[in-house]
Amino acid sequence: MSMHEELKANAAGYVLGSLDANDRQEFEAHLAGCAECAAEVASLRPVVSVLATTVPQVTPRAEVRDRILGVAAGLKPSSAGAGPPAPRRLYALHDRKAPPALVWLPLAAAIVIAVGAGIYALRLQRQVGALQARFDQAQSTTAVLAAPDLARIDLQGQAVAPDARARALWSRSRGLVFTAANLPPAPAGKTYQVWVVTAQMPISAGLLTTDPAGGGTQYYMTPPDIAPPVAVAVTLEPSGGVPSPMGERYLVGMP
Amino acid sequence: MWLLAALAPMHPAAESQGEDVESLRRIVSGDQGAAAVLYDRHARPLYSLILRILGDEGEAEDVLQEVFVQAFRQAGRYDASRGAVAAWLLMMARSRAIDRLRARRSRVEGRTGEVQVLNDLPDAQPDVASALLDEEQARLVREALAELPLLQRLAIELAYYEGLSHTEIATRLEQPLGTVKTRIRLGLLKLRDVLAEGQA
Repeated sequence: MSMHEELKANAAGYVLGSLDANDRQEFEAHLAGCAECAAEVASLRPVVSVLATTVPQVTPRAEVRDRILGVAAGLKPSSAGAGPPAPRRLYALHDRKAPPALVWLPLAAAIVIAVGAGIYALRLQRQVGALQARFDQAQSTTAVLAAPDLARIDLQGQAVAPDARARALWSRSRGLVFTAANLPPAPAGKTYQVWVVTAQMPISAGLLTTDPAGGGTQYYMTPPDIAPPVAVAVTLEPSGGVPSPMGERYLVGMP
Repeated sequence: MWLLAALAPMHPAAESQGEDVESLRRIVSGDQGAAAVLYDRHARPLYSLILRILGDEGEAEDVLQEVFVQAFRQAGRYDASRGAVAAWLLMMARSRAIDRLRARRSRVEGRTGEVQVLNDLPDAQPDVASALLDEEQARLVREALAELPLLQRLAIELAYYEGLSHTEIATRLEQPLGTVKTRIRLGLLKLRDVLAEGQA
């Protein structure tokens, strides 16, 4: 991959504002002199702006309007000069007479209940999101197992973990299901990473999290145009993973 | 083709842009009614975005107030050549909500965490989007977003709604950094293509 191609891959992250500081500085320097990257950035901006408006729409409480416009009434307009006399402060809260308790008590109770219900709904929404993610994972796994082009690769524990075992089930069209057992716990700051090794290069499938017993099952998407794998391997790498394997090999298997 | 899509004028948005610019002008000249007009046009989408980011109604109300106060104060400095008023307001809303989210996170992580977060801050204020999309285009993108592969959608959402950097997303999703970059790019390119098709 050329330097330019590598930098162009950062255009999306730049528009989203998610580049790490070093990458951002590097990309900005490149952007100044690269019309192609500038065009990519310009083409992605409307997409990102839409993310702001695709959220569920909620109207703020009426009290918030009063509060904000009340504050606005107290602000000095930024252009000085002999204007007309200041308009009456229509929305300032203290202009109002306090309503009797008979009115505000039930109102306060209603607000407390409404806020409580809102928070509860938000929690439920998050739980549904988490369940949906697990369901998607399970569905992908099932799809792989039922794939007509399913290939099975068994992996053997290497010298550092002779008891470890794993099996990779791979379908070009549907992805990779990886199941491991008897892996030693990854030390702090380290993680297991699964590799699909092609004749050209090893491709990262993703990270593997293990349970206390050293087992783990994970679904990974693989590029549909990937070259036929000549091996599948698991290495121990720094947390977050690495672009190409550097750490010790724990499991290796060939078709 | 997508370049045409990105540059094409967006008529409904252009009309409300004219009214927004007029409101800002009247706010600068001290017209309180204009502040109410601007609030009524934008409070709902701004509040919705802030609430999506913070997940807490009280905090979202506070941030909404900060955004409007900033907008009223800076009305005279608004520069139409840098983007639509709606996009300007949304950018301020996201930026302030994310700032608050980060402050909340660093409180949880303690002092050492705070330093770390500050060092890792990605760009808090990317340039404003030049044009806002109309409702039909927004719907297309919304649907396309829901249909993206799970990891692409999650990576984009963590970046935009939680303000996480690529490194932080990689840790959260337990994916290598390079994979996260690729997923974000593929996802946004897909959304862009959907948008271009919608306009063709």
